[in-house]
Amino acid sequence: MSKAFYQTAKEIIQNGYDSLTAEQVSNKHLIYSSPATLSFNSPGAKGYGVKRAGLAVPESVMLLVSPSCCGRNTSLFKSSPEYKSRFFFQLLDDTDIVTGRHLMKINDACGEILSSLEKRPSAIMICITCVDALLGTDMERICRKVTETHSIPCVACYMYALTREKRLSPMAYVRTSVYSLLEKQKRESKDMNIMGFFSPLNDRSEIYPLLKNAGIENIRELARCKKFEDYKELSKANFNLLLNPEARHAAQDMQKRLNIPFIEMLRLYRIDKIHNQYMLLGNALGINIDDRKYYEEAEKRIADFKNKYGEIRFAVGEILNGDAIEIALMLAKEGFRVECVFATIGELNYRFLKTLSEVSPETKIYSNLSPTMLNYEKDDIDCYIGSDCLYYFPDKPGIEWCEETEPFGYRGVIDLFDALDKVLR
Amino acid sequence: MKKFLKYMSPFAPDQSGACGVFYELGGLIVICDAGGCAGNICGFDEPRWFDKKSAVFSAGLRDMDAIMGRDDKLIEKLSTAYEQLGGNFALIVSTPVPAIIATDLRSLEIMGEKKLGIPCIALDSTGTNYYDSGEEKAWLRLFETFAKESFEKIEKKTAIIGATPIETGFKNADSLKKMSEECGLHNVTIYSMGSTLEDVKKASECEKNIVISPAGLKAANFLKNKFGIPYEISYPFIPKDIVEEAKKYSGKNILIIHSQFAANELRKEIGCIEKIKCATFFLQDRDYSLPGDIKLNGEDDLFESVKNQNFDLIIADSDTLPLLKAAGFDKDFIDYPEFALSGRIFD
Repeated sequence: MSKAFYQTAKEIIQNGYDSLTAEQVSNKHLIYSSPATLSFNSPGAKGYGVKRAGLAVPESVMLLVSPSCCGRNTSLFKSSPEYKSRFFFQLLDDTDIVTGRHLMKINDACGEILSSLEKRPSAIMICITCVDALLGTDMERICRKVTETHSIPCVACYMYALTREKRLSPMAYVRTSVYSLLEKQKRESKDMNIMGFFSPLNDRSEIYPLLKNAGIENIRELARCKKFEDYKELSKANFNLLLNPEARHAAQDMQKRLNIPFIEMLRLYRIDKIHNQYMLLGNALGINIDDRKYYEEAEKRIADFKNKYGEIRFAVGEILNGDAIEIALMLAKEGFRVECVFATIGELNYRFLKTLSEVSPETKIYSNLSPTMLNYEKDDIDCYIGSDCLYYFPDKPGIEWCEETEPFGYRGVIDLFDALDKVLR
Repeated sequence: MKKFLKYMSPFAPDQSGACGVFYELGGLIVICDAGGCAGNICGFDEPRWFDKKSAVFSAGLRDMDAIMGRDDKLIEKLSTAYEQLGGNFALIVSTPVPAIIATDLRSLEIMGEKKLGIPCIALDSTGTNYYDSGEEKAWLRLFETFAKESFEKIEKKTAIIGATPIETGFKNADSLKKMSEECGLHNVTIYSMGSTLEDVKKASECEKNIVISPAGLKAANFLKNKFGIPYEISYPFIPKDIVEEAKKYSGKNILIIHSQFAANELRKEIGCIEKIKCATFFLQDRDYSLPGDIKLNGEDDLFESVKNQNFDLIIADSDTLPLLKAAGFDKDFIDYPEFALSGRIFD
């Protein structure tokens, strides 16, 4: 029986990105299915998958066209008030798949949805799966037909798990889909959108006052749009601030269709890098951003935590609001010990790993997805961050750090240490 | 519209049923999918997954794997996992993707057995059928593959075929054993829950089998033909409070919606069986149906049945309630959770 596979940060960097071992590359081994990997195997089981994400368009409904297996876990959230009467299913049988006859039923199914609802929805999102990916279904054409027949916007959402590692993954594609109903209108110079997440940023994030102080009057987010009328306002933005690379294609699409340019920032937890990003944002907008008090507040919070708990040992998982390796790097730079990280190494976080290998070379990097994780034996830690770590360390204090409200900026850092303080107290 | 769900969510699919039969038996289980099916099976349809470690994997298929076939790559991955973890057998559970590209599952079995040197079973689930279809195939293949040898009979040894969390709504074998004992079944072996592959191999030791699900009938018949083990139909896993509550309505017009043998057992417990109809969305064996029992092919069937018949009481999973109300039903209702519908468990 093999022990759970890991390499230290130093070993990985010494070998180089092109020489990652098979255990670190997800398409070179079977994917171990444990509660720690549920968000990988079933993105909708926790947080947002394509199905929930597609319903980010306010007052819309979704028709899932698939075999019954693809919609099974919808029960998890279908009964919650915000999704009540918003999910419908057109199930496929073997004959549908062989003949493609299910495509002829979609228009009627949409008619039935409309006739069954007391209030007319703003749009119908049609979600299709691997089956139609393989059949090569032209869902755009079917959506156009639905729109023509029923005079309602209809948008395709592609839940193609087969393409999850492509440049345009299903979660990137659905972000484009949910903004696709916006129509061009006059842009307002003091309006902007924050893009990237399906739930709003924490209200207390300093990004709001910083932008307001810089003269921005209306900051909009998709997740804060309650009505379709609110949603339509998003195309008034003078620019989009993109906080998640998965939304880049959506931002590019808005730039092309609506002439709305975008600026990209990352969600980071190292306060010096957060400061750099704000300065770069200020330069890009031609405004002065003074973030000193927020910086100092975050700096003090980290110092207080460290004074209270000393150099405690952390495990960091990848199912959290942030990048596991960037958070590990922040902890290591702030003088904490990071015993282990559970992470899937990609091009983006490899650059954080380079710095981590200098600051904390012996940190173990495990791949959650490796079959050898079945034999994982607990590392000796004091505290964990990440929902997947909860599975590995059920008897240790820690935080899942994947609440639906999105942390961002210095406030995200302060809240992270507040949450850690609360469980360690 | 057929196959259109307005009120309920999709039911447990065949791949979940297939996986559930083998889950506790110490094999390597590979869901032959892109990831989503494994997530649905483990994260939703296999409640044991959160408490009991099992070697369940996704094949992690990508578009080029589907386009090119690449069965050899899958076997290579399986072989590596076997070298790392070992296992009594390998189970490959098919899903919509291999079904569409017509993966040669028999060939995968042969390649797997040759490479790993252990029994390899590839089950042809498609994701379009329900859990009982997958369980039916899985139960049969389980006994066909492992119950080969004839052992001496052990007096009064009895086993239960058909119990899985999806079928019973219980994830702990102890709960089922306790309920079996309360029904006079002592020291019973419950295949695939709280038992091992060794128990399956020694299936011929049993004097009698009890089948609790239509999905177990083919396997029971196989054991009857091969080892002469008789079987009877029973369902000892209905929670007492539901039975007691239902009994109060004896003599009234009642509709029970559940898997066939559970519904039949509850009808028997209530009494006045001529006034009770049983309905199911799943397998319905005519030999065990009464006139008037209903095979539901979808929401429309249930809607029509309820609209056109005046039931005083409906016993069903509460996930059916919005549909029942829409059909005009406003009488009494007893919630009898059915995992294959709502995913709710008792323990």
